[in-house]
Amino acid sequence: MKINLILQQLLNGISLGGVYALMAVGFGLIFNVLKFSNFSHGGVVAICAYFGYFISQHVYPNFIVTLILTAIVGGFIGVIIEKLIFRPIRLKGAPLTLFLVNSITAAMLVQQFFAVMWGDNYYPYPEFIKETAIHIGEFTVSKIYLLMLSISAFVLLILSYILRKTKIGIAIRAASSDIRTPSLMGINIDFVISTAFFFAGILGGVTGYLLGMAFTVDPFIGSMILKGIIAAIIGGMGSLGGGVVAGLLLGVAESLLIAEIGASLTPIVIYASIILLLLIRPEGISGKGYIVKA
Amino acid sequence: MIEVKGLSVHYGGIVALDNISLSIPDGKIVSIVGANGAGKSTTINAISGMVKIHSGTITENGESLLIPPQDIVKRGIVQVPEGRKIFPTITVQENLILGAYVIKDREKIKKNMEKVFDLFPILKERKNQPGGTLSGGEQQMLSLSRALMSDPRVLVLDEPSLGLAPMFVLEIFKMIEDLNSIGHTILLVEQNAQKALSIADYAYVLETGRIVSEGRGKEVADDPIVKKAYLGIEE
Ligand SMILES: Nc1ncnc2c1ncn2[C@@H]1O[C@H](COP(=O)(O)OP(=O)(O)OP(=O)(O)O)[C@@H](O)[C@H]1O
Ligand SMILES: [Mg+2]
Repeated sequence: MKINLILQQLLNGISLGGVYALMAVGFGLIFNVLKFSNFSHGGVVAICAYFGYFISQHVYPNFIVTLILTAIVGGFIGVIIEKLIFRPIRLKGAPLTLFLVNSITAAMLVQQFFAVMWGDNYYPYPEFIKETAIHIGEFTVSKIYLLMLSISAFVLLILSYILRKTKIGIAIRAASSDIRTPSLMGINIDFVISTAFFFAGILGGVTGYLLGMAFTVDPFIGSMILKGIIAAIIGGMGSLGGGVVAGLLLGVAESLLIAEIGASLTPIVIYASIILLLLIRPEGISGKGYIVKA
Repeated sequence: MIEVKGLSVHYGGIVALDNISLSIPDGKIVSIVGANGAGKSTTINAISGMVKIHSGTITENGESLLIPPQDIVKRGIVQVPEGRKIFPTITVQENLILGAYVIKDREKIKKNMEKVFDLFPILKERKNQPGGTLSGGEQQMLSLSRALMSDPRVLVLDEPSLGLAPMFVLEIFKMIEDLNSIGHTILLVEQNAQKALSIADYAYVLETGRIVSEGRGKEVADDPIVKKAYLGIEE
């Protein structure tokens, strides 16, 4: 490969990886607190991809405004999903398997809904950016990808700030190791869980918007979150930072491999490497544990 | 004054508490002693709103305490749970910040943090370490400090001396008396019956979910049955 091509693929990979990172964190936030794999996150992504398309194409074709609106809608969809399908079974003390089943069912419901309603068409976002590439010497950079990268980074930085510096953020992190004890500090655990779903939903909204903008919208866009889930697992379940790193790595590996061995072989190599990696290091990149001393 | 009347708690088919009544007057130290599984933790978890009660009432100055646990904390009744239950993955300082969750005033939170750092200087040294890296004794200090961060009126302590070195056990009991002398009401649950009875204004002995003896701390300590069963002293 020429050095230019490599650099370009690297940047594309990091941009795509940024979106994987968004998905990994959105998925990881809920996993940390409630300990189940929340496939319904894919549903939020899909709904928001359509919603973002709809308002930006038909209501108000402004990139920033519609992105923010979609993010907020994503947050509330997250909250509603929690209230409707997870809270009732949590209050009944249902086993984790039931959470998993509910989350998969919700994702499939969303997918089928869009497949039936709007499945026979592709929906492209408006072209917010007229000129699609920047040329720096021989080096060409896609503007859409740059935009994707900066927005993912921005959103993740804000979330990281909230989780480290605000009371509710610290409470979400505390609830990740113990969901009962926060009540003894006067913390309303239902509110903490709602807030975690709100944040995850915002990430899902941004993910859906960016994916819709970079590609086109179809009913199966939600299944892209499999990549995010893989990133979360490689990153080490429980470590949001690990998920971000793994998301970026996954994006880069994918882009470089596509340039080198082609798009059809790439997934085979990637999935095989992931299985190998987890055999060697089942706790993921940054898996670690602390002991509570009795 | 907190009053528990006719309290029963069932776990599935198990009767953990069977019609117990007790009161915790303001400004006093009240101890509950009893063997493993007697129902001590269940009693204080009922007071903290952490378990569903089967029957009975819990009130403070006539107002029902059968409200969600976070609202009980907001009233100033705060539990230091059995086994410390500090948050292992977040830092010592973040543990303390959560302890002050119900306090909105940032200055007040800072002041309270300074107070607990004065009380336990080691926590200040360790403030940026994850709670899970502290030693058992340090985790107990953190657990107590976390509760103090919210300015509780009533401190409910579940076996604060468990697993501590003898030297530190003495210190913890001394500290409990100090906290009481500056105005905190104390409900103390202990296996270390001798110590718990010696500092108590009033004490209850629990046995398989029933109160079998009660009275002023010294009286209970002198009860022959208690002496034999809990203090290991034969008459
Ligand atoms: N969540 C629960 N589910 C079922 N049974 C429980 C539960 N919690 C406690 N129990 C039972 O209720 C009884 C009282 O338990 P509790 O924890 O109140 O005892 P304790 O006096 O605090 O004991 P220890 O000194 O060992 O801490 C025990 O028989 C215990 O097995
Ligand atoms: Mg107990």
